Amino acid sequence: MAEGNKETPEIIGFACSFCSFKASEMAGSLRMKYPEGVKLIEVPCSSRVDPAFIIKALMEGADGVFVAGCHPGDCHFIKGNYYTRRKIAALKEMFRAFSIDEKLRLFWVSASEARRFVDKVTDMYNNIKETKR
Amino acid sequence: MRIGIFICHCGHNIKSTVDIEGLKGYFKGLNNIACVEDYPFMCSEPGQALIKSSIERFGLGRVIIAACTKALHQDMFKNLVRDAGLNPFLLRRVSIREHCSWTGEDIEKNTSKAIRLIRAGIYSSAHYEPLEEKQVEVNKSALILGGGISGMSAAAFLARAGIEVYLVEKEKELGGHVRHLEDVWPVRERGKDIIERMTEELKTLNNVHIFTSSRLVSFGGSFGNYEAVIENSGGEIKVIVGGVIVAIGFTAFDPSIKPELQYGIDKRVITTLEFEEKMHELPIKEGSRVAILHCIGSRDEIIGRPYCSRICCINAIKTGEAIKNRFKDSYVESFYMDVRSHPRGGEEFYEDTQEKGLLFTRANISEIIPEQGGLVLRGEDTLLGMPFEREFDLVVLSIGMSPPKDNQEIAGLLKITLDKDRFFLEAHPKLRPYDTALKGIFIAGTCSGPKDMEESINHGRASAVKLYGLLNLGYAFIEPFVAYVDPKRCSGCRMCEQACVAKAIKFDEGLHIVRVEEAACMGCGLCNATCPSSAIALKGYKDTIIDDEISALTEAV
Repeated sequence: MAEGNKETPEIIGFACSFCSFKASEMAGSLRMKYPEGVKLIEVPCSSRVDPAFIIKALMEGADGVFVAGCHPGDCHFIKGNYYTRRKIAALKEMFRAFSIDEKLRLFWVSASEARRFVDKVTDMYNNIKETKR
Repeated sequence: MRIGIFICHCGHNIKSTVDIEGLKGYFKGLNNIACVEDYPFMCSEPGQALIKSSIERFGLGRVIIAACTKALHQDMFKNLVRDAGLNPFLLRRVSIREHCSWTGEDIEKNTSKAIRLIRAGIYSSAHYEPLEEKQVEVNKSALILGGGISGMSAAAFLARAGIEVYLVEKEKELGGHVRHLEDVWPVRERGKDIIERMTEELKTLNNVHIFTSSRLVSFGGSFGNYEAVIENSGGEIKVIVGGVIVAIGFTAFDPSIKPELQYGIDKRVITTLEFEEKMHELPIKEGSRVAILHCIGSRDEIIGRPYCSRICCINAIKTGEAIKNRFKDSYVESFYMDVRSHPRGGEEFYEDTQEKGLLFTRANISEIIPEQGGLVLRGEDTLLGMPFEREFDLVVLSIGMSPPKDNQEIAGLLKITLDKDRFFLEAHPKLRPYDTALKGIFIAGTCSGPKDMEESINHGRASAVKLYGLLNLGYAFIEPFVAYVDPKRCSGCRMCEQACVAKAIKFDEGLHIVRVEEAACMGCGLCNATCPSSAIALKGYKDTIIDDEISALTEAV
């Protein structure tokens, strides 16, 4: 597995276009700051995220990957995020065998929770920066 | 393939924290890049002309616009690309403002992030295909949440224009806060009379359906065909509406969270709203001493309300005037930070009440001490820089506006956003003050920030006009991002069929493969992530598109 830059972790986030991506747009509009290492890929629903994408991102050098979707019960597609929750849980279980489960996070951020989005990604960034040292 | 990159400065918004020349230099050297242009405002007419002429001149196959997020100006840029002869789905918007220049301060780091983001746009758009938007019929009906003055104004306009209106109010009667006003400045009418006139008008229109004591419990669908479920004592009613206006108003600030003001503890401390309701029952008489405190719940960082509520100065002046008119020999003193009597005629009204003997003192009131004889106000005169203590018989708190109580719930149901003060956020503060980021959902009145009655009515009507403009077309285009099946790869395992929430995937017994019913497909992409043989893919979010986006973000600059 390729190792990213230790000083500035690179984190790739898959963000649901109905909630977390909107929250990130709002965080930008409100001039909230978060680390430059965090970069987003917009997906129509968190359930679009194929575990292969997460593995690919880590293989190509990302220090962390997160999937951000709507709160349980709020999915625009009714229950896409429940599929995501199970998929990520299974993937995390697999990652635990390689001690890389800390590199993957799943969190729920609604469209109005810009502050929560920033807190979640900043916390993940700091955590990865700490463990990599 | 010939790719054109258009980088927007957005005035100083992008330019001040991203090195535009550095970006241009980086992309100029790459393969397949036919042109890299920058302009102060790509959304302006010269900016649009630059994009259009470049598409024609270089015969571009892909257009990458690196500017604001695609929630803004997307329709305009799509039409522009279409006019230039290119399929609008070969346009890629890269957000280097909301996701880069506004979130970081370091120019070098931002520039490197912008390079990766734009590169992700280039790599992934290589796999884009020309798509056609689907045309859908729009329901000529509207849901209005909140039957206050703003919602009622919007309802009246839409109904007269021939739109079926569903007006939902959580209280027993229409009218919101205005109903409880005894004296509406400057028309000097009772709020109740105004509301009753408007209600009568709404009742004469047979295409207005009023639901009182009702609430919205579920919401879904897309523009033109939103599905809403309204609940009241009679059960649940499902309506299909073309668009929505959110006009849920405000909550009056509750001064009891500032215990030093004694509100709720001492009966002699009341709010301006309570003053309106029981003006004639108050324990004041000729010779009484009354204090009016401005800016309660406004311009106060400590309690998280840094904004000006805009209405409370006029309310305070009006309160003082009402007391003075009734008891000529009363002593009324107003303690203010600044007097902002901004509506038309407000300044003259302020002057007139001063002539009637209302006193204005610029002061910070630190606490109210209840004594047997009266209420002692302790504070500092900020013009003289002197502390003072003065005794009064009654204190009226001129309270401001707090965000509506149901803001979180409504924002969650409709999937619209709140701003930092927790009022509803408009799509653009100057250019699109009535729109939300979602098509066909508008905001009106005080739920998007403090407004007076006149402004709320105007806001409601303006939102109604905007919504009418969209509904009256009768049709809309929806994005063609649906799943499709590659029959050669499909093994007929039917895993996608089980996963599909929309039940859009049907199994073909004869061919032993699945097919997608496009009209039913919601476009979530779950089937794409489920398929073990990569036979089913979601248009616009195919595996190759996301794979290359990942590569572009992780590759070194």
